[in-house]
Amino acid sequence: MIVLGSTSEVAQAFVEKALQEGEKFEKIYLFTSNKETTERFARHIDVKFLQQAEVIELDLTKEIDYNRFENINSNVLFCAVGYLGEGTDEGLYDNRNTERIIAINYSKLVPVMNYFAHKFESRRSGTIIGLSSVAGDRGRQSNFIYGSAKAAFTAYLSGLRNYLFDKKVHVLTIKPGFMATKMTEGLPLNPKLTATPKQAAACIYKAFKKERNVAYVLPVWSIIMMIIRNIPEFIFKKLKL
Amino acid sequence: MKPNFTQKVTNWGNFPVVEKEMRSEDNFKKIKEFVLNHNEVIARGNGRCYGDASLGESIFSTKKLNKFINFDRLNGIMECESGVLLSEVLEIAVPQGYFLYVTPGTKFVSIGGAIASDVHGKNHHAEGCFSEYVIEFKLMTENGEIITCSREENADKFWATIGGMGLTGIILTAKFKLKNIESAYIRQESIKAENLDEIFKLFDESESWTYTVAWIDCLQKGKNIGRSILMRGEHAFQHELPQNFSKTPLRLKKKLSPTVPFYFPGFVLNALTVKIFNWLYYKKQSKKEVKNFIDYETFFYPLDAINDWNKIYGKSGFIQYQMVIPKETGKEGMRRILETIANSGNGSFLAVLKLFGKNNTAAYNSFPVEGYTLALDFKVNSKLKSLVDQLDAIVQEFGGRIYLTKDSMSRSSLTNYLKNIQNPKFVSLQHKRIINNNS
Ligand SMILES: Cc1cc2nc3c(=O)[nH]c(=O)nc-3n(C[C@H](O)[C@H](O)[C@H](O)COP(=O)(O)OP(=O)(O)OC[C@H]3O[C@@H](n4cnc5c(N)ncnc54)[C@H](O)[C@@H]3O)c2cc1C
Repeated sequence: MIVLGSTSEVAQAFVEKALQEGEKFEKIYLFTSNKETTERFARHIDVKFLQQAEVIELDLTKEIDYNRFENINSNVLFCAVGYLGEGTDEGLYDNRNTERIIAINYSKLVPVMNYFAHKFESRRSGTIIGLSSVAGDRGRQSNFIYGSAKAAFTAYLSGLRNYLFDKKVHVLTIKPGFMATKMTEGLPLNPKLTATPKQAAACIYKAFKKERNVAYVLPVWSIIMMIIRNIPEFIFKKLKL
Repeated sequence: MKPNFTQKVTNWGNFPVVEKEMRSEDNFKKIKEFVLNHNEVIARGNGRCYGDASLGESIFSTKKLNKFINFDRLNGIMECESGVLLSEVLEIAVPQGYFLYVTPGTKFVSIGGAIASDVHGKNHHAEGCFSEYVIEFKLMTENGEIITCSREENADKFWATIGGMGLTGIILTAKFKLKNIESAYIRQESIKAENLDEIFKLFDESESWTYTVAWIDCLQKGKNIGRSILMRGEHAFQHELPQNFSKTPLRLKKKLSPTVPFYFPGFVLNALTVKIFNWLYYKKQSKKEVKNFIDYETFFYPLDAINDWNKIYGKSGFIQYQMVIPKETGKEGMRRILETIANSGNGSFLAVLKLFGKNNTAAYNSFPVEGYTLALDFKVNSKLKSLVDQLDAIVQEFGGRIYLTKDSMSRSSLTNYLKNIQNPKFVSLQHKRIINNNS
C-alpha cells in the first residue's frame, strides 16, 4: 500500500483497519512531510502487525524528484493529503496562504497521484482511494479556497475513475464530513455529525471492499450535502455558512 | 472558527463534571509548548479513575500517544507510548503467549494511568503492583525536558511518579515486562461464603493461588454480614484445557459487547434494586463450589462486557470508595465498614474484597499496604457525603488508607502519600481538594 499524507490520523487508522482485517502488503510506503511522527507509526505497525513499512519524505511545496519513487509499486494507493490553511476571515487576502492551500490540496498533489496512477494503469489492477471533502461540494463563505481546491480534486478523481475504468483500476472518492482529528481539534463540532478516525477508517474500508465510487464517511452527510447543493443560488448567497 | 479547547470533561464516575481546556498532541515538541504555555497542567489517560484525579485547569490528554515502540518477543518486554491501553497491549501480547503481570479490573486503562496510580490486580498478595514490572519510562518535567526514569536513572523521580497521580509530570513512554502464559484461559474456582468469617478463612486458604477476589453482597446484616463469593484462578496450562479450548489456546473468539445506550433515570437504582441484584448474583451460583475454565476476559474484566455501564448510575454519577485496612485489624475494620453501609441503606452494586500482600516500600506513593481492601460503588445523592464521612472515620480509626485514583469525596488526608511532590506546574483538582481539606 502507498499512503500519501501518512501523518493523517484517518490514513493511519485505515492502515490499521486493513491490517486487522487481514490484508497483506509486501511493504507499506508511508509518504510524509513529517518524518519523525511517521517513523513512530511505522514502528507501531511493525510491533502490532509485523508489517514492514518504509518512510519516504515528500514535501509538496518543494520540487519533487520522481526518480526516488521508481521502485515503489503496490495495489492500493491511499491519499489523505489535506491542508486546511487559514479560513477566509483571516486568510482570504493572504496570498501565501491561498497558494499553499491550492498547492497541497490540488496543484502539486495531482502530478504525484498521476505518477502512481500511471503505474496502476500499466499493471491493470489496483485501487486508488482519495480523501476529498464535503467542502468541495459547494463553495461556502467560510472556507471556499480550501473548498475550491477540494472541488477540483473531486473532479480529478471522478475523471480518473472514468479514465481508468476499462484499465481495471478502481478509484474511490471519499468525502469526509466533520472528523475529530488534529485539523479540527478544539472546534465546536456537533458530535452526531463528527466521525472519529477509527469510524472513518471502518467506513472507508467497507467502501473499498465494495468497490464504491463515492462515499461519505457518515451517511447523514450525503443528505446534508444533497440539501446544501440544492439550495438555489439566490438564497444560498445570503446564507452565513 | 477559532479553536476553543474548553469542553466538558468527567471521569468514569461522571462526578464531578468540569468545563476545562483539554488537548491532545502526539508531537513531543507540541507537548512541551503546551506544558510551558499553561500555568497548571495535569495528564489524563483514559479517564478510568473515578473522580477528579485527572481533571485540572489545563488537561493534557494522552489519547494520541497511542503508538507501540518495540516488543521484544523473546524476553517479553514491551515498550509503548503512555496513551496505549492495556486492552491494546493484550491484543498483541496474548496471541504470542504473554500477559500483563498486573491488571486492574478494566482493560481500558492507559499505561500512563497504570503507572501514575500504580494499579493493583487480584494478585497483589502474590505479585505486587504494576510498578514491579516497569523497567523505565520517559517523563516530561515542568520545563519541558524529557528525562528517562528507572531504578538506576533519576530514581527519585521514578519512585515519586509511581502512584504519584500525575503530579510529577507527563509520562510519555514506558517499557515493562510481560509474563508468559500457555493459554488465554483461567482455571477458576468459585466458592460461596455465608459470612465474613468464612470469606476471610477462604482468603487465608487461597494464599497459594495467584489470583483471588471476592464479591460481597453488602446489604446483608447481622450474622449474614459478608455473604460473598470468592473467586480464585490460575493461568491454565495448555495440557489441562478442555478440548474445545485447547486447539487454539491463545486465541479467543470475538464477542459483541452490549452498550448501555443512555443514562438510566435516577429511580432505577435504589436500595431495592441493589438488593435484588446482589441476591441474584449470589443465587446465580447454586452450588457451594464451582470449578471451570473461563477466558481471561471474563475472569479479569467482567464489567468490560457491558460498554458504558457507568451510565447505569444516572446523570448525577457515582463514586467508588476503596480503602485498605492493615492486616492485624483488617477483619474487624471490614465488619465495621459493612455494618455501617448496611445500616445506611445506601447499597452498593459492586463490592469487591481483595487481599494485599506486603507492599514495596520504595514505591512510597503507592496505595497498597498489607491488609484487606474493599471497593464499593455508591450513587451520588444527598445522603452520600455523610456516609463517606462515617466510612472515613472508620478507616482513620483502623489506620487505613483511601485509594486516590477512585476518590472524589473523601477526606483525602487519609492518605499518607503524595510525598516528594510539590510541583506548582502539575496540579489536579484532586490535589487542590486535598490541600484545602487539610488546611
Ligand atoms: C471498572 C473499573 C475497575 C477498576 N479496577 C481497578 C483495580 O482492580 N485496581 C486498580 O488499581 N485500579 C482499578 N481501577 C482504576 C484504574 O485502574 C485507575 O484509575 C487507572 O489509573 C486509570 O487509568 P487511565 O488511563 O484511565 O487514567 P486517568 O483516569 O485518566 O488518570 C488517572 C491518574 O493517572 C494520571 N495519569 C494518566 N496518564 C498519565 C501520564 N501519561 N503521565 C502522568 N500521569 C498520568 C492522571 O493525572 C490521574 O492522576 C478500575 C477502574 C474502573 C473504571
